[in-house]
Amino acid sequence: MKKTGIIILAVFALIGFYTIGLRFSEGLQTTHLNAVFWGEWVAFYIYCIGLSAGSFLMSTLIYVFGMHQFEKMGRLALLSAFVALLSGLTFVWIDLGHPWRFYKMFTHWNHTSVLAWESMFYIFYTFIILAELYMLMRHDLATLRENSIGRKKSIYKFFSLGWRIPSTEEGQAQAKKDSMKWVKILGVIGLPVAIGVHGGTGALFAVVAAKPYWFSGLFPIIFLVSALVSGCGLMLLLYSMLGDKDEDYIPMLKGIRGFLVLFIGIDILLFISDMLVGSYGAIPEHTAIWHRIMFGNYWYVFWIGQIFMAWLLPMLICSLRSIKDKANWMALAGLFTVIGIVNVRFNLVIPAYTEPQLPGLDIAFSGHPRLSYDYFPNFVEWFSSFGIFAFMILVFLALWTLLPVNESISRGMEKSSLAH
Amino acid sequence: MTKQIETKEKDKEKGMSTGSNRRDFLLKALSAAGLASFASILPANATEIPREEVAHVLDMPEPFPNGGILERMRGELHRALKKPIEQRKWVMVIDLQKCIGCKACTVSCISENNLPPGVVYRPVTEEEVGVFPHVRRQFLPRPCFHCDNPPCVPVCPVKATYKRPDGIVAIDYDQCIGCRYCITACPYGARTFDYGEYYENGTPEILPYELRPSPEYGENRVRTEGEDNKSPKGNARKCQFCLHKITNGMLPACVTTCLGGATFFGDYNDSESLVRELIGTDRVKRIKEELGTEPNCYYLV
Repeated sequence: MKKTGIIILAVFALIGFYTIGLRFSEGLQTTHLNAVFWGEWVAFYIYCIGLSAGSFLMSTLIYVFGMHQFEKMGRLALLSAFVALLSGLTFVWIDLGHPWRFYKMFTHWNHTSVLAWESMFYIFYTFIILAELYMLMRHDLATLRENSIGRKKSIYKFFSLGWRIPSTEEGQAQAKKDSMKWVKILGVIGLPVAIGVHGGTGALFAVVAAKPYWFSGLFPIIFLVSALVSGCGLMLLLYSMLGDKDEDYIPMLKGIRGFLVLFIGIDILLFISDMLVGSYGAIPEHTAIWHRIMFGNYWYVFWIGQIFMAWLLPMLICSLRSIKDKANWMALAGLFTVIGIVNVRFNLVIPAYTEPQLPGLDIAFSGHPRLSYDYFPNFVEWFSSFGIFAFMILVFLALWTLLPVNESISRGMEKSSLAH
Repeated sequence: MTKQIETKEKDKEKGMSTGSNRRDFLLKALSAAGLASFASILPANATEIPREEVAHVLDMPEPFPNGGILERMRGELHRALKKPIEQRKWVMVIDLQKCIGCKACTVSCISENNLPPGVVYRPVTEEEVGVFPHVRRQFLPRPCFHCDNPPCVPVCPVKATYKRPDGIVAIDYDQCIGCRYCITACPYGARTFDYGEYYENGTPEILPYELRPSPEYGENRVRTEGEDNKSPKGNARKCQFCLHKITNGMLPACVTTCLGGATFFGDYNDSESLVRELIGTDRVKRIKEELGTEPNCYYLV
């Protein structure tokens, strides 16, 4: 079963590499992008950044706000935040017209561009996640290094950055204390950074006055809240699958479920506010887009994907008394949320492009599909996206098995050091 | 200079004697006035900027005094080129009453800049106005508006797009990373993306006309296969008022090919220029001004 799963993921990853290869050899003409200049890859980019920020913010519950009942998912949350960030950056990277010029973001940094600020945030954020993970796992990595031989030893030596466990008891206690102190400091810094990472990603869109659908102060907040929704969903899913089935297992899932319901509630509230205010003013570029989202060709993305899958179904599962406390059902709620939020992301990006900037501009250039305002991703976009997800899941599983993310010994260590 | 003044005088006389209608007379008088200031500015500014910088302008053929509006605008263009770059401000005026929707400008722009499929700098939109039987089609040619407060410039993460001192919003093709944020930020849809396609895609051969270099920005870039660093493929692209033409004393392609004579081009800082006169009329309108973009394309409605 496990093996089949990995083979399927590997096959998808390989097809993905092939389609990404096509994209690199032929350029963006291999996609279906047209007058909808940001398409599936950008939607998945913000989706992944959202997953990452959501997971990271879940970890701050423990390390910043001291909710130690969630201790066991701390490393898991940070690891998934890291892998989701990598996926997001891959998506936005292959979406660039000139991927090999990405370094110019740093060499020719433009302080008036939200995107330029975001690139800085991503670097800083990556550093914080890695540093925090390192501090949490340093002790375990050094232990593993000492207990293993051959290639594994050098791998753990690499991951522990050569750090060794102090020989004395006091030294060990001090090292653990230092680690946890650093984790807290990094978490405190990481909290505004993660908000900046995803709120900023929302601001990327919100500052565009040319698109009334995006141009609202609520937009970055909606980004952030839906990030929290997807982060909770992901944690619920991952922990129900990977977490140790001990006495903390169900209470832990219940705790995450509570946050999931809370954040979905806020998300719905913000969404309704934005939609009602937006469509009350009769600005054509604004109302036409809302109309298209709800009743256009892709109505199902909104009604089935966003409303039903991302919001109603998880809410229903989390509130039906007969099933809500069952781990499998909670996992399912998490899964529906994680997939449902994809639809939210698609609907945040693509519809804004479907309305011509000037009346008649959509039919002014007769004929060429690249100037069309109707977009649907093609196989290169779909399979490269599936490939990136499959590959990143494999990366996640590899890191999960290799690193002491879920070692029982490590937990004993943390508990004692946090108990003070 | 005396010769030019003489010509001007002669012109005036001619205008008065032969002007069969008022419009004709006005145009001639105006073009004469344009020439007069051209003559008076020339010596003063020629000393201000090094001669070698304006040499190519000085070598250009003088505009014909009786050449009509296009020649008048060319004269004004020459006059502007003799000023330092930061003292010029290029603007376009489009008379919608004169536009017949022939799209010659769209075609000439594609031809001049050698544009690939999917890249259009100057489309002409069509809209039906009124209710039958009192109905007409309204055409709106849309170049880049080269806004004074361009929304596309600040969003660029790598400073690849910028406002030149003469008002033109330009793109550095070697700098652009192709993120398409500028395209997104433009409220007029004035930017398109070079996805790397050819008209002859799917045929046995890409014909030489598609591999001709594009003269944009005077850089003569060839769209080669792959993502060659010199190729504009994978970049945002836009109208630059035919910068390569105007720096060589020629009017933009859309201006010279306009059948109805509906497109005007000139230096806003030149108080005697035709565009300034037209902007002073009560028919002037700019699009989406409420966004604070301060577009430099004026429509006469």
